[in-house]
Amino acid sequence: MSLSSEPGRPVSSRRHGRRFLCLGLALSLIIIIWPAHQLRSDNFVVYLPNAHQVIPLESIDRVQYLPLVPLLNLVGTVSGIEEKGNSMKVWLGSNQLELHRGDKKVRINRAALKLSNPVRVSNGQWMAPLDFIDSALPRLTNQRLEYRPGDQRIFIGDVRPTTFFVTRAPLPNGTRLTFHFSDAVTIHTTSSNGRWIVGLGGRPVEPLEQGLKLNDASVSEVRFDDQDGVPKIIITPVDGSLNFYPTVEDQGKQFQADIVQPITAASQTPPGPAPASASSSRPGPTAGAGGAPVSAPAPPPLPAVVLDAGHGGPDPGARSRDGLAEKDLVVQIVERVRNTIAATNQYRVILTRNGDADPTFDERDSTANLAHPVAFLSFHAGNLGERSPRVMVYTYQASAPPDAGADAQQMFVPWAWAQAPHLDQSRQLAGAIAQQMSRISDLSTGNPDQAPVRQLRSVSAPAVAIEVGSLSPELDAGVLATPDFQQQIAAAIVQALAAFRGGA
Amino acid sequence: MSRRAWLLMLVTLPVLVIGSLYLRTLVRRVFFEAAQPADASARARLTQAALESSTGASQSVVLYFPSYQEGKLRAESRPLSLAASDSDRIRQVVLALVEGSRQGSGQPLAAGAEVRAVFLTADGTAYLDFSSAALAGFTPGIESETLAVYSIVDSLAANVPAVKRVKILVQGQEVDTLDGHVDLTNDFVPDPTRIATAAP
Repeated sequence: MSLSSEPGRPVSSRRHGRRFLCLGLALSLIIIIWPAHQLRSDNFVVYLPNAHQVIPLESIDRVQYLPLVPLLNLVGTVSGIEEKGNSMKVWLGSNQLELHRGDKKVRINRAALKLSNPVRVSNGQWMAPLDFIDSALPRLTNQRLEYRPGDQRIFIGDVRPTTFFVTRAPLPNGTRLTFHFSDAVTIHTTSSNGRWIVGLGGRPVEPLEQGLKLNDASVSEVRFDDQDGVPKIIITPVDGSLNFYPTVEDQGKQFQADIVQPITAASQTPPGPAPASASSSRPGPTAGAGGAPVSAPAPPPLPAVVLDAGHGGPDPGARSRDGLAEKDLVVQIVERVRNTIAATNQYRVILTRNGDADPTFDERDSTANLAHPVAFLSFHAGNLGERSPRVMVYTYQASAPPDAGADAQQMFVPWAWAQAPHLDQSRQLAGAIAQQMSRISDLSTGNPDQAPVRQLRSVSAPAVAIEVGSLSPELDAGVLATPDFQQQIAAAIVQALAAFRGGA
Repeated sequence: MSRRAWLLMLVTLPVLVIGSLYLRTLVRRVFFEAAQPADASARARLTQAALESSTGASQSVVLYFPSYQEGKLRAESRPLSLAASDSDRIRQVVLALVEGSRQGSGQPLAAGAEVRAVFLTADGTAYLDFSSAALAGFTPGIESETLAVYSIVDSLAANVPAVKRVKILVQGQEVDTLDGHVDLTNDFVPDPTRIATAAP
């Protein structure tokens, strides 16, 4: 029964009811549409020598504000605060700052200065608009300040930020982004929500552009972000099915990211070993017999080999009697292996860590899995008894193998079992490496072994761990640290890769 | 005094008395009793209990110690009066491993390692909770960590038949690795292939 046909109800009451209903609806709409007092919160990053601090920004009436006292505490020592009603005085060293709530004027040592927006108090905190940083802050401290108006970061003291710019080049099957850095940076890559995140290590970074919207067939956006104090570049692909091939060049001063179409099933068939005289199959326009450009699609990128130097950062790993840390020794070896592999022009080399970074096991495995490598080699050094130099090659030893039949039915492989389907190939790779190592004179080696190496667990590719030794407190590093020995190891690995790929 | 005041006093008085007694206990505990490291004393009591609960008769147990020269585990026999309960036996075997080899083999666990707790579940999984001192002074490495883990696992399987798998915890927590290499997120089944068969 409708409301209007209710018997015995006066017409005025019905009118009032409708009015209240309309008023309620209008109020609800106003509440929904009315802009919130505090629209959103961002962070402001203060980079100091050897440290950084993140200060939450508040957006009040579309103007960004910074909490004043925490900021002043970072640029100097606040020696006194006097709050009286609607005004506050702050002493920073020998300087005095005076502010009034709701007033654009501030006084520094009694000299007036006008800000673009009034000073506010929010949740008991005195807030200054962002232009306070470039207009007032330099008058309050003798420290060197580097700030670009509008940015959400400031560099205080002897901090020289790294800058970078990006160039874009089309590839036959995608796009190549090249990031050029002013200083070497420590790069590690991960993926999150269909985007690729390129971590730039702990160094302060100041981008020339905060973000770029690209009109590109492969990449839609490249954005810099350091809101958590950790500088990173976020690359958003146009399509989630595209592949990402990162490469670090020029000792970390250049980072190249190829965003390309997935390799088709036909092209994934592993090629046989190329003759030594064969030219590189690096992607690019191919040439016909007469040297004329061929319009056919270019071959897919070179197969990837991922090299993982164990440990890093605060984790030195094992240490020799003369003080050589495992993390440093394996970086030296990885560098030689990388150069030797690259010289063959048959593989792309991807490193899981650059410099003294310490990515987690899963971050390293993510880097590897993103590249779909043909081989993953994790380098370690440890106590292998007194038979030094010695090399041991390991494949992953699972405590209880997963049910192979059940796995075949599964669409997704559990992260912790990613290595299991590749164990046969991993054993072949380990066999090839051990065989080549046995040919090095004065090097002790054994048959490939299996061990529950954490780093290999989640690699979705043929993966082995190579341990050189002995690196222990009872022995000096000796020959392990010599370029000759490391080069022999590198050459053996290249030979083993050729044998493995030929027999795979 | 009114009846209402009497009632109020009757209710308040017991509360005051109980409160005072509790306060007195608290004050004694805080100011007069010596601080007891409860965790450490409990562990010491458990270790003592394990060692004292032996069946009396001494029997030969086989312990496996790492031989870094061979990359294998070396068997070493020694007499031990094993306890009646499996949990206590596990603790005894691990403590014997912590004590170290008497034949010059490697040390699987640091000398200061403590066994904080031992649990044996119905399916034969032995949970061993070590103190963080178990990792101190340990030489990290794939081979050394693998041998250390299987030294424990194979020694337990040889002497406590109820143990089918071993899960290692450190300070009551699951940890990623022993010291940067060997995966401790899974449990371990005994691996007899780690044991050296030939004479040294």
